[in-house]
Amino acid sequence: MRSPRLLAASMPRWDWNEMHWGETSMSDSNDDRQRNEIRSSASGAPTSPERRQLLGTLGGVALVGLAAKPAMASPGAPTQVTDAPVSALTQDRIPFHGPHQAGVTTPRPAAGMIASFFVLAETREDLERLFRTLTARIAFLTQGGPQLDPDPKLPPAGSGILGPIVPPDALTVTVSVGASLFDGRYGLAPLRPKHLQQMQRHPNDALDAALCHGDLSIQFCANTPDANIHALRDIIKNTPDLLVLHWKQEGSVPPIPASSDGPPESARNFLGFRDGSANPDSADAALMDRIVWVQTASDEPAWAAGGTYQAVRIIRNFVERWDRTPLQEQEAIFGRVKATGAPLDGGRSEHDVPDYAKDPQGARTPLDAHIRLANPRTPKSEANLILRRPFNYSNGVTKSGQLEMGLLFICYQADLERGFITVQKRLDGEPLEEYIKPIGGGFFYTLPGVRDEQDWLGRTLLQASA
Amino acid sequence: MTTHPSRLMIRIAAILTLGLCAGTVLAAVSPLELVAPVADYKLYVAENSRKLVTDVRNFTAAVKAGDIEKAKQLFAPTRMSYERIEPVAELFSDLDSAIDSRADDHEKAEQDPAFGGFHRIEYALWVEKSTKNVGSVADELLANVVELQKRLSALTFPPEKVVGGAAVLMEEVAATKISGEEDRYSHTDLWDFQANFEGAYKIVELLRPLVVKEDRAFAEKADENFKAVFDTLQKYRTPDGGFETYEKLTDRDRKLLAGRVNTLAEDLSKLRGMLGLN
Repeated sequence: MRSPRLLAASMPRWDWNEMHWGETSMSDSNDDRQRNEIRSSASGAPTSPERRQLLGTLGGVALVGLAAKPAMASPGAPTQVTDAPVSALTQDRIPFHGPHQAGVTTPRPAAGMIASFFVLAETREDLERLFRTLTARIAFLTQGGPQLDPDPKLPPAGSGILGPIVPPDALTVTVSVGASLFDGRYGLAPLRPKHLQQMQRHPNDALDAALCHGDLSIQFCANTPDANIHALRDIIKNTPDLLVLHWKQEGSVPPIPASSDGPPESARNFLGFRDGSANPDSADAALMDRIVWVQTASDEPAWAAGGTYQAVRIIRNFVERWDRTPLQEQEAIFGRVKATGAPLDGGRSEHDVPDYAKDPQGARTPLDAHIRLANPRTPKSEANLILRRPFNYSNGVTKSGQLEMGLLFICYQADLERGFITVQKRLDGEPLEEYIKPIGGGFFYTLPGVRDEQDWLGRTLLQASA
Repeated sequence: MTTHPSRLMIRIAAILTLGLCAGTVLAAVSPLELVAPVADYKLYVAENSRKLVTDVRNFTAAVKAGDIEKAKQLFAPTRMSYERIEPVAELFSDLDSAIDSRADDHEKAEQDPAFGGFHRIEYALWVEKSTKNVGSVADELLANVVELQKRLSALTFPPEKVVGGAAVLMEEVAATKISGEEDRYSHTDLWDFQANFEGAYKIVELLRPLVVKEDRAFAEKADENFKAVFDTLQKYRTPDGGFETYEKLTDRDRKLLAGRVNTLAEDLSKLRGMLGLN
């Protein structure tokens, strides 16, 4: 995935600022319905006076160097220690309605979270109530608006951590269901997506049952971790008899300054390497239809069309040990130059494509390099492409006094077996394993999108089993 | 955790293709000078793997005989030969996982049917207080260490794995052992520490003549840090030559050990580059 850009101009891909100005420099995504919706909705969104003034002041100048600092100089900028940091992005709004859920091909913002739940609904009616409730809450949370507290004798309607007018802050909330939801409880067994299964242990895994699987996963992505936490607390508060939290993992992506020349760069992971260089182009709707979205004409149950498989892995990185590993070994392990992201067989940037056919013995890129195993770039391996959407996580300190941090790996694909499972099997035994340890995660099926006001998450599934 | 054997072979082949030394600016050491220390290390490994087979034979016999007290006495000393040579022993990830995996490597922890090896038996001896469930685990453990000895004797030792092994041992202690998680049922962790430090020190000792040529201060600093960890562990020796339980380790000593281990890990991580190895 591409790096998040809090403020960027002159971008070849879509851009919040340009959207707000109503300019149309996005020639490559005109056929992408969701992106068009993003633009039209965002341009119709109320833009704060501060924001308008900021944009007016800065005009079309590329805001190089400002991206990483939400608290930037602008009229009314904070002057006191405890003044809130200022963001021009709180009104960024991603449309909720569409054939697919948002948060899959939507460009990844700076903050992400996966929460996994047990579903407590006892009947199909309760399950429908759960999905309808989730739909209503997500529609509100992602679009924002006032959350009123008419009676002070009662607890407030929400946590209030974003204030009484909830800002959308580019929030997406993506709901997926685990294989266990298709057990005997709701009569859904015959409708289980063909490849949906409980995540199995791979040889290097040390899975912790307290961090694995679940009946339902919710992915939250937003400009700030606070918007994700606000949404999670809202959903927990509104579904007390229907959901119990099983595990959650938050993550982030380091923003980078906008670059005025050249294509966007991928963000770096906690091993210091760019992660996402060869990710399929999520702005290419036809490509996404092939790689990510389950199609009507497929061997999946009809209700599943428009959905996708979600694979989540919590992968601990042994960062102290990694930082003590020679640079050339780090690069041989990944198959890329650490500084630039260029493949080891040549090129100047991460966008150069390695030519393994010219290196059959692995003299330039070792045969067991991470990128070569993950994507051997053969005609056959085209079928195994996945759309990655990872975040870096940092959780504190291990019992041994080392950093507990790593990668919250998330990927989407139309065929879980040919996608993540096949790719991971190719990676099993890779040299990188000395430095990483998958400890949790799970497989889920991301429900088709909510088409309009009358539609709700999971409708096609429940109607198909009625 | 480890490198898969087939991948290892690829890497070894790559090393042979590239030559031992791909010319870093530091290296005054010629690859030929590494032949003797690597050969000596191979002898050290052979000696330890032989002792490991003998000790595991006695240990598993006690387990199979249901002699819990004897098996408990043999558990910690038996592991030492494995812990000394861990950097090369774990090159065979299938065996390493079968011999030395911990409950938390498995999703269902102690109840996971795939949990076997030393720590499954440790769990039986100290927690379940019964050997009735681990007869076949004992058989598999013995078979696996016999297989390990066989594979090690056939292995051409990659010099960078030998030289890097000293750092690997420190990384293992720093990442997952200093906390007392390794021998969590028996609390015999100090035995493992001693063996890991001995194994790392052996490598440094064999390489000392070469290291001194490159950087005398480095060699002296490493010696000083090894002395500090051995001295600290010495305080916990028991009259019979064993060690107190991990719980007796004071908080202060645990932190002191952690600091020295981190320093050794930082320093020893430069050893390969210093000796011109990839």
